[in-house]
Amino acid sequence: MKRAKTLLVSVLLAASTLCATAQGSLAYSGSVWSNSDGFTSRCLGFTDTYPKQLYSLAQTQMPARGYSPVNGALGASFTRSAFLNQAVGNWAIYVHSHGDNYRATSGSGIDSAFLQDPGPTACSNYKVDSVRASSIKAATSGGPFNLVIMSTCRLGSSSSTMPGAFGIEKVKNSTDPEFFLGYVNLTYDSSQLRFERAFWSYLNAVGSPLRTASQAFAYASGLGGYSSPDTADPFQANWWGNPGYNGRARS
Amino acid sequence: MNRVHATKSLTAIKGLLAGTTLIAGLAFCTGQLAAASLGSAHNGSDGLDAGPASRQVTTESALFAANRPDVFARAGIARGALGFPAGYRRTGRHVHDGIQGLDYDEVSEIDSAGRPIAMTQFAPDGRLVDAVRFDSPPSGLGSVSSDAATKAAQRAVAGAGLSVVGPALTEANQTLGGWDVHWARAQGRYAVRGDETRVHVWQDGRIQSVAQVEHALAAAPQRLLAQSDARGSVTRQCNAWFAGTGSSYALKSMDLEWVGPNAAFDADKLTAAAAPYRLAWVANVNPSGPAADSVQLITLFVDAGSGAVIGGDVVE
Repeated sequence: MKRAKTLLVSVLLAASTLCATAQGSLAYSGSVWSNSDGFTSRCLGFTDTYPKQLYSLAQTQMPARGYSPVNGALGASFTRSAFLNQAVGNWAIYVHSHGDNYRATSGSGIDSAFLQDPGPTACSNYKVDSVRASSIKAATSGGPFNLVIMSTCRLGSSSSTMPGAFGIEKVKNSTDPEFFLGYVNLTYDSSQLRFERAFWSYLNAVGSPLRTASQAFAYASGLGGYSSPDTADPFQANWWGNPGYNGRARS
Repeated sequence: MNRVHATKSLTAIKGLLAGTTLIAGLAFCTGQLAAASLGSAHNGSDGLDAGPASRQVTTESALFAANRPDVFARAGIARGALGFPAGYRRTGRHVHDGIQGLDYDEVSEIDSAGRPIAMTQFAPDGRLVDAVRFDSPPSGLGSVSSDAATKAAQRAVAGAGLSVVGPALTEANQTLGGWDVHWARAQGRYAVRGDETRVHVWQDGRIQSVAQVEHALAAAPQRLLAQSDARGSVTRQCNAWFAGTGSSYALKSMDLEWVGPNAAFDADKLTAAAAPYRLAWVANVNPSGPAADSVQLITLFVDAGSGAVIGGDVVE
């Protein structure tokens, strides 16, 4: 009887281990990053609540596209090295932070960047905190990546080099399973939240597996109601990639 | 194929093989996988700070022409008025959208391959809130003028049963091509922030999308806060914020608008239900010093009745 019990326990343990392995190895990992320490009362006098709202939204919605596990960080663990280390194995990436199309350190051309979280004792400084497109491309060899969302200012503009960092060409007729979403101008946080809620809501509708990311973009873009900081910066989102791609994890 | 691509592909193939073998042999394990799959398809139940409790769950029910002919009739009228393609079949659903915090009836035009090619959404009162077609305009098919695009948008809005007031603003869409035509909503001389009727017109003059955004408004305050008093509220708030940060600020502009109270600066308000829009002084403030490395613009909403800061916005 004792031998039978031992055998049963062994079988269950082995099965449990194999099961965990199966689920782990089916993984198409994603990561969601949001700079929050740069937007706290320590640096601004008030705490901007949007970075956490946007982080929570992406954290919840990315798994519905089949990405698992979804890692990344909200706050101090969002460092340049952590991002680059995880990006190598990721198929989907979401970043919310300050972003811009900076001049390349070589002095010629654009090398787009977003800012890592400055940590609990500092405030954002682009000279210290920028995560350059060129460094992402060097670390990841440019992909492949399925779904990349830059929830920042300006990284969806025509001059952005960020899509290329993830191996996504700035065309709207790619045949690879890839989709890059970004914003063109200076953009209010509330507009990013409204747009991304609409984008995820359409894309992840239950029982609608044939919806595509470009359709979700068209829905969110057409929805309107987006405030903009001034007439020089109208709200405009942009995308590049495959118009027929559904945003799901795949190689 | 580069090294990273090869590594990622190998991981996926290994995962597929391992998964297939193991799923066949481990009945109790497949139960876990199935549960995980169903869970991932469920929207909005994050339990975090996505918004009020009503925002955290999405539920939907199927609509059929037999039991909701009114919804399908409205969708047919809108599709015809906007020149959208007819599908091989139509599907309908009523959605309590936990992500967007909206309730709507939706009808999709579906092609023979099962793909959506156009969609209309209606508010519970039957008003069209959004219509969009998902195909693409053939390239090189003409380029209508701003005036022609505006007229096409006016016809579309009228045909869809939407009313607009005032002149349209028509702008070229630099990223998608074509034109964005929109009418901003105003109430009692003051703009309603974000509320508008918006039409995207393709470069060949056809309509790609129509949307109308309207929020409920609270009563205007009986006594309007003077701009100088509102400025005082902004100054006190910003002085309190920036004291000790080494940063400063400059007030850029101030206007009266209807705004939605929000939790931009106050996490305690994140779970509050959406409130009617209130008349407020909207102040745009440019930070300087270290804060300018984080944010480009801070917008404060100062209630035009009480003088309290009731929300705002941030450009990072």
